[in-house]
Amino acid sequence: MSGARIKHIVKGSLLAVLLLAFGGCREILEPPPVDLLVDDLVLQGPDDMEPVRIGLYNALRSFGSCTIFAADFTPDYIQSNGTFTDFNELGSKNITPANTLARTLWGNIYTTIYIANFIEENIDGVARVSRAEKDRLLAEAKFCRAYAYFIAAHTFGDVPNVTTTDVQTNRSIPRAPKQEILDKVLADYTAALAGLPLRWDADNAALNKQFATKNAARAGLARYYLYEGNWGAAEQYADTVITSRLQSLDSSYVTVISTEFDPESIFELAYANSSSDDPGTSTTGLNNILVGRREVIPSNSYVQEIINVNAGTRSATIVFNTNNQQGRDNGWTVTKYGTPDQGNNNITVFRLAEMYLIRAEARARQNRITGTSGALADVNTLRRRAKAPLAAFTTQAAALSAIETERLYELSFEGHRWFDLRRTGRITAVMTAFSTRWNEKYNLWPIPQTEIQTNRMLVQNTGY
Amino acid sequence: MNKNITFLSGTLILVFFCSLELMAQLRPVRGKVTLATDGSPVPGVSILLKGAGTGTTTDLEGNYVLEVPSGTNVLIYSFVGLETQEITVGQGRSAVNVIMEESKTELSQVVVTGYHELQRRDIIGSISSIRSDKFKDMPVTGFDQALQGQAAGVQVSQSSGTPGGGIAIRIRGNTSISASNRPLFIVDGTPVFDGSITGRDFGGQNDNSLAVVNPNDIANIEILKDASAKAIYGSRGANGVVIITTKRGRNNKTTVTADVQRGIIELIGRPKLMNSSQLLELQRDAVLAAGRNPDEMGLIPGVTDLVDTDWISEVLRRGILQQYQVTASGGTEKTRFYFSGNVRDEEGVQLNNRFTRYTGALNLDHTVNHRLKFGANINVSMTQNDRVKGDNFLDGVYSGAIKSLPYYSPYDEFGRLYVPNDPNYAEFPNFNPVGQALLPRFRTYGLKILAGANMDIALARDLNFRSKVSMDYNNAEEDQYEPATTAIGGYLEGVGGKGYGVYSTFTLYTLTNSNVLTYYRHIDERHRFNMLLGNEIIHTQTRESSVVGRMFPSTQFTYLNSAGIIDQGGSFYDQSGLVSFFGELKYDFKDKYLLGGTIRADGSSRFGKNRRFGYFPSLSAGWRLSEEAFLAGTRFVDDLKLRASYGFTGNERIGNFQYLGTWSAAVYNGNTGVGPNRLPNSNLQWERTNEANIGIDAALFDNRLRITADVYRNLTDKLLFAEPIPLTTGYGSIQGNIGSVSNKGVELSISSDNLNGDLKWSTDFNITRNANKVEALANSDTLYRGYTGSGVGGTNAVLEGQPLGTFWGLNFLGVDPATGDALYEDVNGDGKISPQDGQVIGNAQPKFYGGLNNRFTYKGFDLSVFFHFMYGNKVLNFTNTALVNTGEDVENNQSVIALRRWKKEGDITDVPRYEMGNTYNNYHSSRFLEDGSFLRLKNVAIGYNLPSRWIEKIRLGSARVFVSGTNLWTLTSYSGVDPEVSTLDGSTTAQGIDFFTLPQVKTIQGGFTLTF
Repeated sequence: MSGARIKHIVKGSLLAVLLLAFGGCREILEPPPVDLLVDDLVLQGPDDMEPVRIGLYNALRSFGSCTIFAADFTPDYIQSNGTFTDFNELGSKNITPANTLARTLWGNIYTTIYIANFIEENIDGVARVSRAEKDRLLAEAKFCRAYAYFIAAHTFGDVPNVTTTDVQTNRSIPRAPKQEILDKVLADYTAALAGLPLRWDADNAALNKQFATKNAARAGLARYYLYEGNWGAAEQYADTVITSRLQSLDSSYVTVISTEFDPESIFELAYANSSSDDPGTSTTGLNNILVGRREVIPSNSYVQEIINVNAGTRSATIVFNTNNQQGRDNGWTVTKYGTPDQGNNNITVFRLAEMYLIRAEARARQNRITGTSGALADVNTLRRRAKAPLAAFTTQAAALSAIETERLYELSFEGHRWFDLRRTGRITAVMTAFSTRWNEKYNLWPIPQTEIQTNRMLVQNTGY
Repeated sequence: MNKNITFLSGTLILVFFCSLELMAQLRPVRGKVTLATDGSPVPGVSILLKGAGTGTTTDLEGNYVLEVPSGTNVLIYSFVGLETQEITVGQGRSAVNVIMEESKTELSQVVVTGYHELQRRDIIGSISSIRSDKFKDMPVTGFDQALQGQAAGVQVSQSSGTPGGGIAIRIRGNTSISASNRPLFIVDGTPVFDGSITGRDFGGQNDNSLAVVNPNDIANIEILKDASAKAIYGSRGANGVVIITTKRGRNNKTTVTADVQRGIIELIGRPKLMNSSQLLELQRDAVLAAGRNPDEMGLIPGVTDLVDTDWISEVLRRGILQQYQVTASGGTEKTRFYFSGNVRDEEGVQLNNRFTRYTGALNLDHTVNHRLKFGANINVSMTQNDRVKGDNFLDGVYSGAIKSLPYYSPYDEFGRLYVPNDPNYAEFPNFNPVGQALLPRFRTYGLKILAGANMDIALARDLNFRSKVSMDYNNAEEDQYEPATTAIGGYLEGVGGKGYGVYSTFTLYTLTNSNVLTYYRHIDERHRFNMLLGNEIIHTQTRESSVVGRMFPSTQFTYLNSAGIIDQGGSFYDQSGLVSFFGELKYDFKDKYLLGGTIRADGSSRFGKNRRFGYFPSLSAGWRLSEEAFLAGTRFVDDLKLRASYGFTGNERIGNFQYLGTWSAAVYNGNTGVGPNRLPNSNLQWERTNEANIGIDAALFDNRLRITADVYRNLTDKLLFAEPIPLTTGYGSIQGNIGSVSNKGVELSISSDNLNGDLKWSTDFNITRNANKVEALANSDTLYRGYTGSGVGGTNAVLEGQPLGTFWGLNFLGVDPATGDALYEDVNGDGKISPQDGQVIGNAQPKFYGGLNNRFTYKGFDLSVFFHFMYGNKVLNFTNTALVNTGEDVENNQSVIALRRWKKEGDITDVPRYEMGNTYNNYHSSRFLEDGSFLRLKNVAIGYNLPSRWIEKIRLGSARVFVSGTNLWTLTSYSGVDPEVSTLDGSTTAQGIDFFTLPQVKTIQGGFTLTF
């Protein structure tokens, strides 16, 4: 074989190889990503508004159950009954900074804030979308941000005030005073109230309750002022919601437990029914924790209260099963959160009964106890609905005590107890009676261990 | 890309210049070279004219022509794996046919080193070879299992006794924190998928796609360990490369072999648990200590402990293993074939656990003419794996049996299983482990097709071209049903509610095309060149889908067609690609000085635009001292070689699209939007390992003593790492290349033929010390891995200056004799025990490990005794956080260890007091960490080859019978059953955790092999 022919053959085959290699090179080395949206394509045009809005509510929803773990599991409503360390820590009053529920709550709060900030930063640049539509989405973003910061400030105390989406800035951000955060909550709720619609649809209850409305912002403000001790403002916002008649009390308390988007609901974090859009067996799924695994069960003292005759039909918050009663298990189960099939897997954030109780408390604080615009009337509105004996207090002290118990009957496992005990200054008295392991430090949750480790500017809460 | 073209054409020009050298016109000598064993032609034999610069090689039909000067000449014939011959050719002789013998010594055996083959003695890299006879009597499911203890530098741990389950292989330690640490597996030139393919979690133990390859079809396994050996695999080589060559046919004689093996399987041991009355006493103590009344809680002596169930015995059985294989191989001068069919069936020790595999292999080689040859191989296997849940699952079988309270029974008085809603059903978290074994269906169907076709063209004398296209196709279908009578299907209504069914499919395939030019050149017999130049394109695709349904009419309806609600499902598609160019140049001078260099350029779809291509060079040198004059007089030295290498490899296994900033699907009340998913990093690149290796190979005393020793130092930097960032950024981590990990080690292998007479005795021994260390991390903070630890950050930590697999926890100082409470070290001295008091309490890395195999043959008998050992590794007995839980809860049984719990003031013991609900005494601490060193009689086998005078009468070629036992004996101080298990199968940062993990099994089997 001559040298020239060799050369030809070699050249030919190599050329073929190279063509093959480079022809397929681009295709092989740069396959398009699947089921992912590259950063540059988010919130550009009209089609991008709804996906980002859904993402915003998705983030808000993802700390819904953790809010209940904080507010209802930290104080005296539950006892441990399972194997998960995170819940045993809450049950045995031995909360550590390593508790992943604290991390989940914190993380999802800041994811919500990130998306809200992202919307705020980018909304003006969205092409071919009207100003009104932009303002509405911005109002929803501010509503979600306000609620997120509200929970953050009351759970962790001072928390970082994140105002940008810039990663470098947010990586080493210190804690801001709680008051600065609460001022921001007020500003955001107020702006949201102006920009949100009264309703999203004339007759679709689900749409009006799964997305924020004016009444949701008002309910947020009512609760905000209640916690701040501004009784006049709290009464006024609660009253505006009640008298707007956009919501009405359910005729039976069981409807509150077993139904979604019921007439009295103002704002719910919604999971789809008969669908996989449900927390399922995740460690933060309320049904899984309370009913499936029964990681926590109602504490004996809570059971005594809720089966009291004054609770009326609200005792349906828990059920008893004799098969469960063994060992440390008292046999009771919290039933407020169902499965997708039972059609009550949503987490209610605001509902009308809370507005009655806020108005009642605000009026009692202003020493308006009896009469048509007194605290007693609002309490008895709820007692009547619960088919329970009517209350009959006449003094302010008796009224406040009755309202505290009424909030247990009405709102337990809906994210209130721990915050309530703190703002009324009753926490030490109630909790030391409940558990010998109670410690003042549990008035706040710890800043998650991983945050302290990755951000040197953060300082841990006292005692942890 | 331009850079690559320049590199490629530069090397090509070199090739051309070498080819174009002119030859002198003299007289021709012709001939054919054939193999002594079967008369088949041997292509590629080097024929050198001694004392001159000329030579040639045989073509694909074994023919050659060499021009020689007039007069008498001496020709040297050599080929890898064959004995070199020198033939004197007189003036009148023009036809010289040569018959070549296969080499007897190990040094001249063929070793596959990447894209071509070399003789063992010419290797300058660090490569371990394992022949199939090393594992032929062992009941291994996959070849990965067979590697355990066989080679220095190769650490193989079987994660559990689950048939077809996961196996962790590490070559020279762990190089990566986040990316895969598994080596690259190449079967007949095709990269194959390894690890788990199915999606559903079984509580810890994964399936193993390598268990799908039949080890009996394997001829040999090479393990490439240092940079010079594996840099040709570039960005996939950092964790080492395992090259598997399957058996191929030979010329002329067709042989048929039948193998039959049967055996029985049992667990190597069982945990020691309390009986009902012991447990009841303990629980009453714990309840009283908590200030409660045990009678009110139903813990009443004489009532509660009336039932005493040994749950472990209820869920276990004696397993049965059977394997049948038929093999045929042979061929003609033109066509050769290897065919095999195999059935393997393993009934596991857990009820309802079974692994069945059917495999078939066909390898064909066809020579068209002296320029063209074709080859093809196809391996098909089908598996059916009946799995059961385990480990970290409350509704597991073995795990459930350990935990379950002995107060309950599996069956009622009529022999029916207790199921949810029965009054005597043990509710959450106990369930009924026997029901959990027998009632669900967890069946995985596996299909693997490994097929390839290659074409060899002799482009010119010494210049060969091989193109190969191959496919590795893996498919798994998971068919699962948990009826209403199980925990998921019935008890947890939030999940199942009247049955729960899942059907999912996974397909993963890799298409590979490689094109390689090899060129061999010698300039007189002193200078020898070997060159290789090639490219490779690899395309990988993953497809998966699943559907989930609930609400079945009754337990007789088990498929999703009958599900009342189909409410979950999904599908996904993913792909990745690699485009590579590589070259190798080897040179040796007088067989004394050896030099080698390789380079590979890899372009990967997994990296950012700025870092798409990576370059991986290596250099190596060898010096054969035994050829030097100063050693020539030393009689006992047959071969002595020093070698050194340095080079770079990479690790690109981090998942796809990690460099992009992305938003992914986010759902709200059934509406789908987008949510932030990942931060971008366009500089994301492969992990880079630089490796230095110095080794020595010696063959002494007539090749009867062979020693290989290596010292290495590897440093992996640019670790692919999701750096945790504060959640205040809206993200949990950012993908980057931060940190470095080093591995330093020493390896020693000794093989000796101690006795060579009628009684033959040979020994193989290997031992490895590898020191792993995290050199640098993104920041000095502790990264917690493994499980969440009660009272501390986690069970494992990644820390600068510590090895991967470091255990974290409180330091348990003992039990306070006065109070019975646990004493922990208060590291920061703040007077309280908090997560800040966590510290390093040990690590899972052994100080050394290895194997010792002794083999004796006497007449027809053979006996082999194989030990595997590991020393200095710690095991986390995480099971005891539940079994010696100091009363944290009273929901599960306790280990007999708790019998020595603190009971009264003054008790000196290592088990704290029991108080119901008290978590403090059960904080995660060094109380649960134990020495995991072990020496295990891995395998012992006795075989007998029937004398030929018997078998010739029944027209058999040969017949062998054997009996073998696996894992028959283990020496360890570990208090659990098996120190080798690892619940987080395949984990790097949290190895060696025993969490209700099924221990290894011991097997006793017998069988015979008949050859016709």
